[in-house]
Amino acid sequence: MIKVNDLEFTYPDGTAVLKKVSLELSFDQEEHITAIVGRSGSGKTTLLQCLARFLMPKHGRIEIDGVAAHSMTEAQFRSKVGVVFQNLYLFPHLTVLDNLTLAPVHVTGMAEKLAEQKAREILERVGVGDQADSYPAQLSGGQAQRVAIARALLLKPDFLLLDEPTSALDINTTNALAKLLQSLGGSTNFIIVTHDIPFVRKVAHRAVLIRDGRVVTHDTVESVMELFQQEEKQAEQVNAQ
Amino acid sequence: MIRKIQKWLNSLMNRVSSGIKRPVIPLISVTIFLLAALFLPLQSKASESKRLTVALTGKYPPFSFYDPNGELAGFDVDVSRGVARELGQELEIVTTEWDGILAGLLAGKFDAIIGSMAITTERQKQVDFSIPYYVSGAQLFVNAENDEQIGSIDDLAGRRVGVVLGETFEHYLTETHPEIETVTYKSTVDIYQEMLNGRLVGFVTDRLVGGYQIKSAGMPFRPAGKLLYREQMGIPVAHGHPELLAQINRALTHLEKSGSMADLNRKWFGPAASDTVAIHSFAMSNRTITIRLLQGFGVTIGIAFISLLCGFLLAVPAGVVLNSKPSPLLLLVRTTVDFVRGTPVLIQLFFIYFGAPQIGLTLSPLTSAVITLSINGAAYMAEVVRSGLMAVPPGQKLAAKALGLSNFKVFRFVVWPQAFRIAIPALVNSAVALLKDTALVSVISVAEVLRQAQSIISVTYNPMKYYFIVALMFFVFTYPLMKFAGRWEKTLKKRGFADD
Repeated sequence: MIKVNDLEFTYPDGTAVLKKVSLELSFDQEEHITAIVGRSGSGKTTLLQCLARFLMPKHGRIEIDGVAAHSMTEAQFRSKVGVVFQNLYLFPHLTVLDNLTLAPVHVTGMAEKLAEQKAREILERVGVGDQADSYPAQLSGGQAQRVAIARALLLKPDFLLLDEPTSALDINTTNALAKLLQSLGGSTNFIIVTHDIPFVRKVAHRAVLIRDGRVVTHDTVESVMELFQQEEKQAEQVNAQ
Repeated sequence: MIRKIQKWLNSLMNRVSSGIKRPVIPLISVTIFLLAALFLPLQSKASESKRLTVALTGKYPPFSFYDPNGELAGFDVDVSRGVARELGQELEIVTTEWDGILAGLLAGKFDAIIGSMAITTERQKQVDFSIPYYVSGAQLFVNAENDEQIGSIDDLAGRRVGVVLGETFEHYLTETHPEIETVTYKSTVDIYQEMLNGRLVGFVTDRLVGGYQIKSAGMPFRPAGKLLYREQMGIPVAHGHPELLAQINRALTHLEKSGSMADLNRKWFGPAASDTVAIHSFAMSNRTITIRLLQGFGVTIGIAFISLLCGFLLAVPAGVVLNSKPSPLLLLVRTTVDFVRGTPVLIQLFFIYFGAPQIGLTLSPLTSAVITLSINGAAYMAEVVRSGLMAVPPGQKLAAKALGLSNFKVFRFVVWPQAFRIAIPALVNSAVALLKDTALVSVISVAEVLRQAQSIISVTYNPMKYYFIVALMFFVFTYPLMKFAGRWEKTLKKRGFADD
């Protein structure tokens, strides 16, 4: 479970992006995907950056399974929480296989042979087993997305944060990604930050709506999406006037 | 100990020369030699006893030049041998450029200059001269085929007259004939070329040298007017060596009295002798020329390779610092890099070569060259490394951190490999620039390819041919490097480096 308490974040220029955000994200076998939605500028990406410990909030507290995030060592934290970035950031100088084995070999000290074997297994599982020896530039958008997820999954994080995972995907690959994430339930829980409503409807079990740095609602996907859609419509009307 | 190392180096150098038939070996040997030279204890040549080290240019026939076998010969060379014999000392001759020869003497690189140096009050402020060992004078030469009636220097107001940079003739002309446009050149070979091109109406040089060279080179020049002034040639030693000076004076007096000096005069300036030498000077064999050019190029490549290696090893940490947050260290590195990049390499070279002895370090020309080029290369490559590091998207670092890699491992496995690949084309360009910069070190008498070519030209009088060959040698090396850099850039694009 991830527990967020009174989280506040203000950028150095004085812009307050998160205002007393409190949240409890709990997961189980059936419901392992939560979406965080909001319009751009709502603070959802900043929230993700705080959850990933790339930004240190001035106030408030984040707990991962009951332990304060700021009190964990870097290694402890990274073994619990993984991130897949919007831009993926696969390492272009390494093959897909080496992208995956880099961290297990050099962080957890896994033997190279074993790391390779596990990497191939997981690539197979996410459906890009045949791309192990390719370089990232040779992959399609959907394949690259899968490799980035595989790279994060290989470290067996309890929670995996995904930032706008569908921004570079077409409708078919988006659907395939939704299927993949649903099939990966079990050991890893997913927190997806996105504004892609159809994708959230397909993939998520629960959803959180953020507006102006505050949590508006945390509920079932259907009720949250309805609210979000209304919000989007209003915004469009304002723009049209 | 020093002797032993010198002996080892000599045998290495011999192997280098005999290895010319197997082109790989000399390159390796030269590299080893250069590496060894870098770490050798620094020792002033002049301080060794029982050995007389004298300097001359080796480009001033008939006083000093390379004979067909590539051996030094000439009047000054023979006088040097005579003096050393009289002193009962082993002779070592160093060839160096004329414009740095006095500085070399003052820096203790050699004991004396036996290189036809005129005794002047100006020079006497810096050095002590022996008694004169021959007398000559300044003579104006003009084109014999020219229709103009040039009777003397007085007919040349407003015209261009050539002299060799650093010779007394330059000083004389600018002081006493300000109405003439005095143009300076590196050597008489360049002056002859300019005369033939019609850019000069005349030139002033030593009467004996000019007469000899014109004849042996078959140049259509004639003396015009009387001697401009007389010059007495002496042997300068650094201040504070009265004993050495007295020994040299005694030796010269004895050579004069015994008739040896008269013999030498006959040998080099008598009618029969002059013709013999003239034939010789055109007969440097192609084999000798080839060997000397290849040896020179071996030295060039060796210097470039070691400087590149040392420069790169310095450039990586410097580039990392340049890419870091503001700190005193950043300020220091930034200032140093800017200073090195903003000043001429040639001045840096002089600074290290002539300046180091003043703080008690007598560096060999080779060491000075390698140090200068390493520092210079490092400054340029540090900038390349910095921009390579900057070109790696910050997200790459973040992604690596998200996988739990420590800061060092993020740099080692993710940032640096990408930065290096991005930097390769610019690094290759730096390498090409550095390779070309090695030509500059010829001025501190490092026997690299340009200096070899210059001494070949001083005998063959064919600057176009040999400069072209040297240019070609450089090009054969640099062209594939440049091509490689171009290809690599395309590969980078294909692999998606530095895309955000």
